[in-house]
Amino acid sequence: MTSAVQIADVYFKAGGRSILEDVSLTIGRGEITGILGPNGAGKSTLLGLILGLKSPTSGTVTLLEHAEPAGSRSLKHRIGAVLQETSLYDELTPQENLNFAASLYGIPNPKERISEILDLIGLAGRRNDQTSTLSGGMRRRLTIGRALLHSPDLLVIDEPTLGVDVEARHAIWSHLRLLRSQGTTVIVSTNYLDEALALCDAVAVLRSGRLLLVEPPQALVARTGSCLEVEFIPENEDRIMNALYGRPDVLRMEATSTGLSIFLDPKASPDTIVRVLLDAATLKAFRVRAADLAEIFKAVG
Amino acid sequence: MNGFWDTRVLAVSGGFLAELAQLRRARLFVVLTIVQAVTFLLLVTLYGLTGSRAPTAVVLSDQGPLGVVFLQDLANDHHSFALTRMTLPQAMKKLRRGDIVAVINIQAGFSDSITHGKDTVINVAVDNVDTDMTDDIQRALPSAIVAFGNQMHMPGIRVHAVENDLIDHDTGFIPYLVVSGLILDAFVIAGILGAVAVAREFESGTVKYLVLAPLPPLYSIGGRVCASALVSAIAMAFPVFIVILGYRVLPIHPVEMMAALSLSIIVFSCVGAALGAVLKRTLPVASLIFGIALPLYICSGSLEPSRFDGPVLWVLAHFSPVYYAVGVFEHAFHGLTVTPESVLVNVEALALWAVLAMALAGNCIQRGIATGTGATRVEQEVGAG
Repeated sequence: MTSAVQIADVYFKAGGRSILEDVSLTIGRGEITGILGPNGAGKSTLLGLILGLKSPTSGTVTLLEHAEPAGSRSLKHRIGAVLQETSLYDELTPQENLNFAASLYGIPNPKERISEILDLIGLAGRRNDQTSTLSGGMRRRLTIGRALLHSPDLLVIDEPTLGVDVEARHAIWSHLRLLRSQGTTVIVSTNYLDEALALCDAVAVLRSGRLLLVEPPQALVARTGSCLEVEFIPENEDRIMNALYGRPDVLRMEATSTGLSIFLDPKASPDTIVRVLLDAATLKAFRVRAADLAEIFKAVG
Repeated sequence: MNGFWDTRVLAVSGGFLAELAQLRRARLFVVLTIVQAVTFLLLVTLYGLTGSRAPTAVVLSDQGPLGVVFLQDLANDHHSFALTRMTLPQAMKKLRRGDIVAVINIQAGFSDSITHGKDTVINVAVDNVDTDMTDDIQRALPSAIVAFGNQMHMPGIRVHAVENDLIDHDTGFIPYLVVSGLILDAFVIAGILGAVAVAREFESGTVKYLVLAPLPPLYSIGGRVCASALVSAIAMAFPVFIVILGYRVLPIHPVEMMAALSLSIIVFSCVGAALGAVLKRTLPVASLIFGIALPLYICSGSLEPSRFDGPVLWVLAHFSPVYYAVGVFEHAFHGLTVTPESVLVNVEALALWAVLAMALAGNCIQRGIATGTGATRVEQEVGAG
């Protein structure tokens, strides 16, 4: 498979501070790749490098196997971008916003294409309403539609569903999957694990400017395992700790206000642990849940 | 694939049409900007009225014929008073109430005294709250006395003033002021609209989208500034028509007026665009434009030819586009030459200012984009573009 993005040995420094260190990443064409990482991990900088808004201090960023550097005019024609801010002209209608975008990308007779896009993003019925009257989800869809107007080969989206309701999230995911099926490469930066699981073929996890791993999101979740939350009376704490001490299927434990969060090895069975705990002491309650993104970052970092 | 220029023209026209659409939906803002310009015309009119028509009472207590002659000489003299005849009690009451500036009393026996060669006194009571008014009275009365003496062939008065006007017609103070006021109007309207067109891009964050496009943002923002200049030109029709129809001041050279107005709008739109890129916010735009426009207006020959203000102000005025614009406008409307430079030189200077203002706006916008988006590659791209 040919690559859409090849980042090799990239370092980026700003104001004497190292933002990205030795990042190498290859993204295949027609894939959806998620960039994950806590705040300050360097996600926005990495997207800025891909979009050509910033130049790496050292290393190379090659897009669509193009010889010219990211940010060159010919490459910008092949890349669509959705920023975290919607950056829409509120006083204009969706149709006028798209008309303006068409003028920037040199699309001479965009009427038909704009109609296609408005149909795709489900805003054909609101095409002549002022953009300021659209809901958050509609605005987000409009920015995605705007980025698709010139039929880019590579779509970069910073937080695709930030601030949108559940229904709109699913609609946006559905659009992105459709794009993937049409061969468009999509890079999304997200803070939602469910989004990464629902959308991405692979996720790249950044932490403190370093790329920690690149793997399918399911593998990432499996790597962390599930979390068993147990509640008990304080007098039982010693018994429970003794029962869990030294067990290889318990990766780590965190105290909570009512008990413990026990992170299990992906291969471990929560049932087994619960039985061990019930033998040792009385539990007030217990539940099993998937680890959240913050816990995953801790686990892989 | 479009040609090199086709894509650029498309980007400029895209920005142009988008700005027109946005201004169409912000009609109240455009109307208020025009209202500001019209109120400024009213302001300069009030200024002209208050300075040149101070109410003054004349009391003619003399019953002879010479009192009336003196009164006529006083009325014909150059001064800034509106003379009204009253009785002495009426006049003194109004003076004390602050309704009038002064009371000039031509006393009983004035004619007799003059006829018999005796000294006579003209009493003047002045509300000296403003020494400027007192000084004006002190200048006007001796002048009227000399005119009267000459008319009466009084012995000892051998000096006659013969006036040779440089211009074959007099121009009223208010007609002079409202014409130069149009330049300030152009500054205010074009400056505000140009600045808002650019500052809005930064304020709403849309500039971050523009830097992602293949062409540098300068093209679409340039289109927006062009649209704001067009709207400014249309908006300027209101104050111009008010001057022509309301004040009855018709341009002698309409083409000259149109040329100067067009160049001024280009200059002020670009100055506004540069300020918008520096400020990056729309809120302080109007106050800053006024803050810059008013001093430039006052020191650029707007109240009188700037060379009468002393050499320092006159030299400084040459650095202001308003100086050249006022020079062309006063000539276009009144046929006046208020600058030592010819009209052609003034027009050329305005054209040069337009080029400089465009370069300034372009530079400020590029820098604004580089700092406002954190896009370190933008300047390089614009330079390449």
